[in-house]
Amino acid sequence: MTNGLARSSVRFRPASFAGTLVALVLAAAVVVACGALLQTGLTASLKAERYAAAPVVVAADQSVKIRMKVGEDTETIEQATPERVRADAALVGRLAALPGVAAARPDTAFPLPATDRAPALTGRGFAALGIAGPGDTLVEGRAPGANEVVLDADTAHSAHLAPGASLTLAAPGGTASYRVSGLAAAQQAGPTAWFADATADRISGHPGRIDAIAVQPREGVSTAALAAQVRQAVGGAAETFTGDDRGTVEHPALGDARQMLMALGGTFGGYATMTAIFVVMSTVALATGQRAREFALLRAIGATPRQIRRTIAAEAMLVAPLAAALGILPGLALARWWFGQLVERGAVPAGLRLDVGPLPMLAAVLACTLAALTAGLLAARRPSRMRAAQALGEAAAEPPRPGRARTVLGLVFVAGGIAAAVVATSLDGAKAAQTALGVVMCFMLAVALLGPRLARAAAVVLGTPLRAGGAPGSLAADNTRANARRLASAITPIVLVTAFCGTLLVLQSTVRHTSGENVRAGVTADHVVGATGPGLPAGTAERAAGVRGVDTAVGVLRTGVVFKNAGRLASAPVLGVDGDPARLPKVLDLGVRSGSLADLGRAPDTIALSTTMADAFGAKVGDRVPLWLGDGTAVRPAVVAVYQRGLGVGQALLPRAAVAEHVTAGYDSQVLVADAPGADRAAVAAGLGKLAEASVTDRAGFVAQSDKDLEISGWANTVMAGVLGGFAAVSAANTLVMTVLDRRREVALLRLAGTTRGQVRGMMRWEALLVAVTGLAVGAAIAGITLVPVARGVADSTPYVPPTLALPLVAGAVLLCLAATGLPVRALLRTRPAALGTARQ
Amino acid sequence: MARRQDRSRTDEYGTAPYGSDPYGSAPHGAVPPAAPAIELRGVCRSYGRGETAVRALRGIDLALARGSFTAVMGPSGSGKSTFLQCAAGLDRPDAGQVRLGGEDITALSENRLTKLRRSRIGFVFQAFNLLPSLTVEQNVLLPQRLAGERQDRSRARQLLERVGLGEHASRRPGQLSGGQQQRVAIARALITRPDVVFADEPTGALDTRTAHEVLDLLRQAVDSLGATVVMVTHDPVAASFADRALFLAGGALVDELPYPSPQAVADRMVALTARPVGAAA
Repeated sequence: MTNGLARSSVRFRPASFAGTLVALVLAAAVVVACGALLQTGLTASLKAERYAAAPVVVAADQSVKIRMKVGEDTETIEQATPERVRADAALVGRLAALPGVAAARPDTAFPLPATDRAPALTGRGFAALGIAGPGDTLVEGRAPGANEVVLDADTAHSAHLAPGASLTLAAPGGTASYRVSGLAAAQQAGPTAWFADATADRISGHPGRIDAIAVQPREGVSTAALAAQVRQAVGGAAETFTGDDRGTVEHPALGDARQMLMALGGTFGGYATMTAIFVVMSTVALATGQRAREFALLRAIGATPRQIRRTIAAEAMLVAPLAAALGILPGLALARWWFGQLVERGAVPAGLRLDVGPLPMLAAVLACTLAALTAGLLAARRPSRMRAAQALGEAAAEPPRPGRARTVLGLVFVAGGIAAAVVATSLDGAKAAQTALGVVMCFMLAVALLGPRLARAAAVVLGTPLRAGGAPGSLAADNTRANARRLASAITPIVLVTAFCGTLLVLQSTVRHTSGENVRAGVTADHVVGATGPGLPAGTAERAAGVRGVDTAVGVLRTGVVFKNAGRLASAPVLGVDGDPARLPKVLDLGVRSGSLADLGRAPDTIALSTTMADAFGAKVGDRVPLWLGDGTAVRPAVVAVYQRGLGVGQALLPRAAVAEHVTAGYDSQVLVADAPGADRAAVAAGLGKLAEASVTDRAGFVAQSDKDLEISGWANTVMAGVLGGFAAVSAANTLVMTVLDRRREVALLRLAGTTRGQVRGMMRWEALLVAVTGLAVGAAIAGITLVPVARGVADSTPYVPPTLALPLVAGAVLLCLAATGLPVRALLRTRPAALGTARQ
Repeated sequence: MARRQDRSRTDEYGTAPYGSDPYGSAPHGAVPPAAPAIELRGVCRSYGRGETAVRALRGIDLALARGSFTAVMGPSGSGKSTFLQCAAGLDRPDAGQVRLGGEDITALSENRLTKLRRSRIGFVFQAFNLLPSLTVEQNVLLPQRLAGERQDRSRARQLLERVGLGEHASRRPGQLSGGQQQRVAIARALITRPDVVFADEPTGALDTRTAHEVLDLLRQAVDSLGATVVMVTHDPVAASFADRALFLAGGALVDELPYPSPQAVADRMVALTARPVGAAA
């Protein structure tokens, strides 16, 4: 129960709570948005379509799981695999023999690039026909034999292919000519080709392993009973799915998307909430400081410290629910936009819907209330602890100096930030990037705590040049020195903007810059043969090597690996390369530090690591490194070389043969070609162009294929920078306006003492510039300290600050300060000074 | 012992018909011999440490009778404010005792002290006496509200009528003149029937006529409500409303005048200001 003072003051002067309200509304919006993404990540499911008629589906677990000892407990850590994990084909027989099973159909899909006679097709085994239901049968002709294929009726008609026609199809396992033996019902999943099961197994690229098994029950067997039987038969070899869970088997990207959404919503949401609390705290502290006289009076006439604390906290609490309510709609809009962009960028499978439940909204209300409460209680500490006499004395002037506890705590956070940054130096990329925001947060807390000292130092340093700037300049210098606390509350949000935006954007630009540089320096091929469809047909590299004037042609298969890194699992993009490894240096100059790329492929279990990966493993040439291939197969290849240019190219190189069977679609994405000495470049390009379904570019073509994950995380960084930066910018403007409007009396006094409007404006402008410069400098220092180790970890380089990023950021901060100071000053100057003088605060 | 004494006094207040004087008419100088309302014994207070320490109070001994109106005078830096803060429990003396209604308040915890201020001491400051967000009546009732007591609205009305603001009860402080605000502050100071009302330059921000009205009200509070008022001021005219003027210089009581006239007070002040501060010690 409060004594109602809070309600009176909020009701009496709602405008003075506007600042808190704005900060809280933004906080609520960010929390709602992140919460919605997080919840979508947790609950997202896609309805089973292809498996709608099969009540039970068996497929392998699409993640790598390890158990690790964390202190006393063992914790399971998992990481979604970069490629489809497959199950043993032998399971089909075991399941078909179960008493409750009517049919167990193996299902495997492999993409077939378009040819001149047929569109792009999905290849399947003939045994998979029937999975979609009773109507999923042959409609014409007969089952395919060896070298025969069944097409779906729609595709056959539109391609004018009737039974008896023959066509050439390129599958991961090889290209061959097939005769159409029959037609099947049209498929929802699109154009499909069915091969004889033995053929399908051979050409799928992964013999003996299948994507999934669709299980149909005998009459009278319930789904639950069937699932129980299947689960027992399968044991630990694969997972059993029923209901909507079957959708995850159809859409393997779902797992990735869910993990990404959870990381985005959880990690970013956490930091955003912390920032929100931070901003709200500084706003509430400022508003409370401005009313110090009121609290001093209350203390004198008998309000206990507890009552003051409760009043201030209650004021903040009164605003919180309203703010949270106001923030919900913009938050949902932000979530929708963000989600839409993720779908558009292919990070989230289309068809997935944003899950907007009441939980994120509840979380927003809770977070806002908690933020307001924390902020209120912290802000109330000073006025409540003051002795009443002190209170009266302090009300007029600035409090003498920050408390010792505050300084000590601030220094602890500085130390913590530096320690975290140092730790980040020894971490690899992904982990270091994750610590970045934590390091920034540490420093931000330090800035908040040490703000007044920092501001005083800035006022002293910058005051000297200011004094040269005439009366307005010297007035500004005196003001800032005397009101360090006020200055600090204005500087803090500017530091926040600079540090957050700087860290996130520079991190991204460093990654982009370095990968660009790596590709430019690392790819020395004269031509890059790229695919227009799912990939280049098998054997393209060999055929390219046969083109006149070609010296070396190396096929590149892009995949990923999972590895253990600093107590968790991470995935990294890698390349599978074929051809003669000795010739690899002709197309790729990766800056080999030790070992030799030529040793790659001498034995099938070899690997070349980028320095980043080698650091993560702590491995050198000759060591064996434990990792999981794209489909989760555990391997321990021997390191044959360590090279420098990993980012943008690939963090590791493996022989193609070692990875080909462990990818979703076993196609080379590119073939890198080096011309023979003296060959005519254009002629070679023309020769390569005759290879079917391929595009030929120069080496710049490699860049377009750079890491999609990195691109999406880069984009996510930009959005985060935008959201956090915008947040901090609004709070900076907010704070500046609040501090300026609070100087009504001072301005009146200056005007009465004969200061011209221009001089007042000039003084305020100098102060605004001082705030901007100090904020930018401190923010840049924080971003720098944070980025150096992270950039080293991620990109193995120093942070790269593009001028197109730095200049707008600096200009934006300066303009923000000038505008947020100038506009309220103008409003103050419009009133006659005499009227201002009698105005009550 | 002290508590009982206190309670009996409160009862007297409570049963006394409004406007009558429980102590009998207390013309200037009729000081009852019973326990003083407030008593200071050897009160010292310094600020800072070492060489730069300022000894604001150098041992004050003083007893103020119930129903008295005392003006504390002194040039700037004489320790007036420190005296008031120590006597009113807003600050703690380094040495010595302050007894309020017989109870030693120097040993009380900050919380007890706060509660004591709330119920047994009234304040009128020079400015900013009222919370801008509360109405006049709510401001008057604020001490009771903070104490979580039943808010005696009829008493608040009566006090407001007495200070001539009966019809302004539901206004906000911002809508009142400076003099009116000070009168509201007096009403608030009296709401809890305190042992002592402390007034810190209550007329410092007012013009002469308004100042007179406010001083008249304080005088009336003493004469007809039996309140005890201690007023710190540097204005000889304000001091002339009191029963007694005490003079502070260099942190010590150096002089006093019974039934002071403005002229006599002004003369003493001139003499004090002329005297070097060191000589006062």
